Amino acid sequence: MMALVTIYIDGKKIIAGSEKTILEVARENNIEILTMCHLKGLTDVGACRLCMVELEGSPKLFSACTTKVADNMIVTTNSERIRRYQRITTELFFAERNHICAVCVSNGACELQDLGYKVGLDAIRYPHLFPQCEVDTSHPLYVMDQNRCISCSRCIRACAEVEGAYNWDMMNRGYQIRVISDFNTLWGESTTCTSCGKCVQACPTGALWAKSIVQGQQDKHPEFITDLMERRKMNL
Amino acid sequence: MIVRNSLQDADLPQDDPRVKQLNVKMKKEGYKPDALIEILHNAQNSYGYLPINVLRYIAKVLRLPPSRVFGTVSFYHFFSMKSKGEHTCLVCTGTACYVKGAQKLLDKVEEKFGLKQGQVTQDGKIGLQAARCIGACGLAPAVILDDEVQAKVSPEDLISKLTSKLETHEQG
Repeated sequence: MMALVTIYIDGKKIIAGSEKTILEVARENNIEILTMCHLKGLTDVGACRLCMVELEGSPKLFSACTTKVADNMIVTTNSERIRRYQRITTELFFAERNHICAVCVSNGACELQDLGYKVGLDAIRYPHLFPQCEVDTSHPLYVMDQNRCISCSRCIRACAEVEGAYNWDMMNRGYQIRVISDFNTLWGESTTCTSCGKCVQACPTGALWAKSIVQGQQDKHPEFITDLMERRKMNL
Repeated sequence: MIVRNSLQDADLPQDDPRVKQLNVKMKKEGYKPDALIEILHNAQNSYGYLPINVLRYIAKVLRLPPSRVFGTVSFYHFFSMKSKGEHTCLVCTGTACYVKGAQKLLDKVEEKFGLKQGQVTQDGKIGLQAARCIGACGLAPAVILDDEVQAKVSPEDLISKLTSKLETHEQG
């Protein structure tokens, strides 16, 4: 028997199961919380810091995707402070790699681009890093373009948790972080990749794409991962 | 045609004392994947760095995804995947070798080539490292020159061997 708790999100009183996260409860009640690294069905890691919310009684911000609800929790998702941080986080995504929408396969179907519109991004106040990034075209079906990666790790988790192949992981740390295949070997030479394409579906940007796609024609289905995990839970 | 080097083929020469030591360490940790960092420490201690074939071997034995092993190695600054010189001279400074004069070996190499342990000559030809016990105490003082274990080495022996390494290098 799961325990029920009462929480308040942006003043709205909600009864929810205590095993749920703030993000789950908010989404079920049509309260919007911005996310990038969250993909329903995959383990939440709190990597992108977009889903930060205020909890009454604490000066800290909490990531909604990894914080479980508790009785009488009072959550604020849309204060001026939170909107400011969302904007900063978004600007930093764009400043960290070479995101050039005009030449991107995902132009018009990109979660990062959508995020930019949502937070009203009109300029980036931080100096761009303009890193030299690899584009790995060695795989027969797919391309990995580090220029467009935001290090959300959705591809890594989709590969490890859904497909069970664990081709991807991160190397290095900080701004030098890169998604790698096997021993930082070419994707086409991977010994673990099953070429299932789940990472491509999970990727929110144009970092992973199918070779059959041309500029601006990306059509990704991250919900494919969610559906797959839901069906698995049903033990058909 | 893309060549895929399956992890199943990953192997190391089992008579190498460093491999023996690595095997002992992995067995001691019960081949648990979460002992990866301790095992990497052990491997780096005996090799001086972490060669890719050692990482492949560890990944295979611990049944860990290659990317996880590589990610861990690249995350920590302590781990190095770069060879420390074209020819590596690894002097064992374990107790037995120390008693038998390992320090004299290190001093002689420093005198002749101006190398302290952990350093590489300016031309990158020789790297000098010291390791705790390499598991060859019966051969004390032991030195691993490139991949060969040298037994009961005297300072003069070591210098002439290093010099001949450099000479064969020039001829080659």
